[in-house]
Amino acid sequence: MSVEIDTRPLWIILALKSLRPIFFLLLAILFWYFIKMPSPEGLTAAGQNAIAVFLICLILWVSNMIPLAITSIFAIILVPLLGILTKKETYSLFGNEAVFFILGAFILAGAVMHSGLSNRIALNVIKRYGYSPKRLLLCVFLLAAALSFFMSEHAVAAMLFPMLLELAKSLKLRPGKSNYGKFLFHALSWGCIVGGVATFLGGARVPLAMGILKETTGETIGFLDYTVAVLPLVFILLAVGFMILTVLYPIDVAGVDNAGEVIAKRLKELGKVSFSEYAVGMVLLLTIVGWISLGRTLGLAAVALGSVVILFVLRIVRWKDVEDYVNWGIILMYGGAITLGSALDKSGAAAWLIKGVIGRWSGAPWTIFALVSLLTIFLTEAMSHAAVIAVLLPVVIGMAGKMSVDPVVMTYSVATPAGLAFMLPMSTPANGIAVSSNYITVRDMIKGGLIMAIISWVLFNLMAAFYWPLIGFGRLR
Amino acid sequence: MLPQNTPANVACSELFTEVSPYAVKKEDGRYIITDGTGSVPVSLVPRPKYYGLKTSTGIPFSKISAFHGSYTVITPSPRCDFFDRGIECRYCAGNFDVKDSGGRVYSVEEVLETVDAILKEGASGIIYLSTGFSQAPDGGIEFLKPYIKAIKKHHNCLVAVETLPPKEDRWIDETYAIGADSVLYNLEIFDKELFEFLCPGREKLIGRRRYMDALERAARIFPNGTVASHLIVGLEPPGSTCMGIDFLTGIGVVPILPIYRPSTGRALRIEPLTTEIIIPVYKHLYRAVKKNRINFNWVRDLSMVTTPLEVRGLVDERDGTKKSIVENFYKSKIGLKTAWGLSTLRRKLRVKDSRDPSDSSGQS
Repeated sequence: MSVEIDTRPLWIILALKSLRPIFFLLLAILFWYFIKMPSPEGLTAAGQNAIAVFLICLILWVSNMIPLAITSIFAIILVPLLGILTKKETYSLFGNEAVFFILGAFILAGAVMHSGLSNRIALNVIKRYGYSPKRLLLCVFLLAAALSFFMSEHAVAAMLFPMLLELAKSLKLRPGKSNYGKFLFHALSWGCIVGGVATFLGGARVPLAMGILKETTGETIGFLDYTVAVLPLVFILLAVGFMILTVLYPIDVAGVDNAGEVIAKRLKELGKVSFSEYAVGMVLLLTIVGWISLGRTLGLAAVALGSVVILFVLRIVRWKDVEDYVNWGIILMYGGAITLGSALDKSGAAAWLIKGVIGRWSGAPWTIFALVSLLTIFLTEAMSHAAVIAVLLPVVIGMAGKMSVDPVVMTYSVATPAGLAFMLPMSTPANGIAVSSNYITVRDMIKGGLIMAIISWVLFNLMAAFYWPLIGFGRLR
Repeated sequence: MLPQNTPANVACSELFTEVSPYAVKKEDGRYIITDGTGSVPVSLVPRPKYYGLKTSTGIPFSKISAFHGSYTVITPSPRCDFFDRGIECRYCAGNFDVKDSGGRVYSVEEVLETVDAILKEGASGIIYLSTGFSQAPDGGIEFLKPYIKAIKKHHNCLVAVETLPPKEDRWIDETYAIGADSVLYNLEIFDKELFEFLCPGREKLIGRRRYMDALERAARIFPNGTVASHLIVGLEPPGSTCMGIDFLTGIGVVPILPIYRPSTGRALRIEPLTTEIIIPVYKHLYRAVKKNRINFNWVRDLSMVTTPLEVRGLVDERDGTKKSIVENFYKSKIGLKTAWGLSTLRRKLRVKDSRDPSDSSGQS
């Protein structure tokens, strides 16, 4: 057991502890008030209830007073209870394709990690290219990004972290002091974050966004379409990010020979490439080809789950090998978020909100795009990426229809920036893992992260304005 | 039992008692203690009934536990590695001298049965767990952990723990977190040179500085007045003991001042100090504790050696003989339950498990 004793005066602890019940009491009163207040003009009773549920979930998601997944479950209970949707409709939304895509992606990532394939790739890449201090950093940065194209960025951060910690120790870097140490762990977190927005696989948030888009408009975005649209941003951010880190943390070590020894030792421990590594690698490759070629016709979830079935039919993995990698919390969270988005849409609440609150911006679609992406980038620093999408996207999609803006484009304005959280350790697990090394302080993270967040927003908007029209996408009607 | 329900352990077999001016006598069916010129009535604490019972494994409860009135001492392992290494404290009575394979370790179940019997009879309200020195960096708390947890799981009673100071502070935090309501790290001797000479094992394997640091940390973690340390009166000059009192009270620790009783057969033979020398030390103790606003009610139930509360009458004549309503309340059954409840609530508020298993659920 790892314990910590709070030595602050008892009255302070008591006051802080009592905040929680007071918070929930106030929340209950607020909820009651929203439900019982007279309906505003143009809003149905179901719509009013949907907004009340949405606001309560918004507060719970932002405050993180209960786990995000439990907030989603709460939404699933409230939606039929308040007559917003029927029970059948509500629970069937949980069977959304995006939820099953995420489940398949978790299992695939689990198989890759369990086989040791991801670890071997990482070690070999660093061994081959990381022979000078700068190249080692570049290698870690690009490796974290590249792996995050295909796996959850959190999994990549968790996988590379122990190895980097060992590298830092072998190089005798002083925690909190060494520039090289700061650079190394920033390279890990930034690499994961930037790489994570490149495809559907870097995090479960993009599939969630696709799920909400499909539920509300019937439209969807293909695996390849999404990647083609955001890949230039990823490459530019990787280049800019590396330059920023080079300026912020000039390299203060002469050589990295000790790191080479650590990597060689780790590689020796792995032994020769096993059958399961070959097999998992092959299935993963086929899956990616399947997503690109069959994603639109079969659906991304079907391809992912088909690959999962193949893994088990061929006995490449066992259930107990991968079950720890399946984050049921995220799956529950997404199911609830999709339900809530649909409830807002079908009850007419989203339309009413847009008409009454945001309708005045109807003349400036690019302004809306820029503002929404800015809001997303800053919200995602304080909230879970998925929660940001769950909160913003249903309203933004509704707004798109009203403004005659392509809802697909507006989906990008939330889905992509929602992954660009550079500033705080609580923003994303990759940041939290990097700070936990003690080589980076929270202040370091905020300093570099703020610059990166602003640059990301500017570049994202420039890309939308100049690059998307070139590929025939993103016209704002 | 002395007046005001003050329990006392009266030495009678040791050699030094032959020259004692005091004697316990029976007059008209009542006991008194007298020095020949005056007397005070005393009573004998009845032998607890559970002493006559055994555990389900056949061990007498009296072997596992030592009844001391308000508290009962249980020492699950009667071992101290200082003896194995020949670096035991020179004044030690040798209770832990069981060398090598000697000394059975009582199981958690046996200790729990003993505690059941004690509490069922209502013999004591506080269970005092102690252990001798072991090589472990935790000071012995990892060994006592299953006992403390089991007692706390099954009974609403207060638990005091006497161990050696652990090497790292996290073990002190853990001691509090697992349920100890009070902790004692007995420094015994404040004078640096005498500490090195009389406690070679403690000096070599723990260090006097570590005692002080551990006590300071414990005083910050545990409730006011529940961290105590023995300073043995008579093993060092009274001035040195007073300096120890000042240091300990300054960091929030209650000094308990047992008087050295030379055991028959032990190497260290020091003549006991006279009352005239001892009394100013105890007066100093009371004043220092009052000055530093340390609650000293708790330790009175944890020790039959002299605590600050017993010497109140010597200093504060105005209310020295009267117990406050609060003191009387905490001596009652309901008071003990209240103390347990408050102690548990405090722990619940203060202890944070740094594992946060669920709140990231849904993070992506």
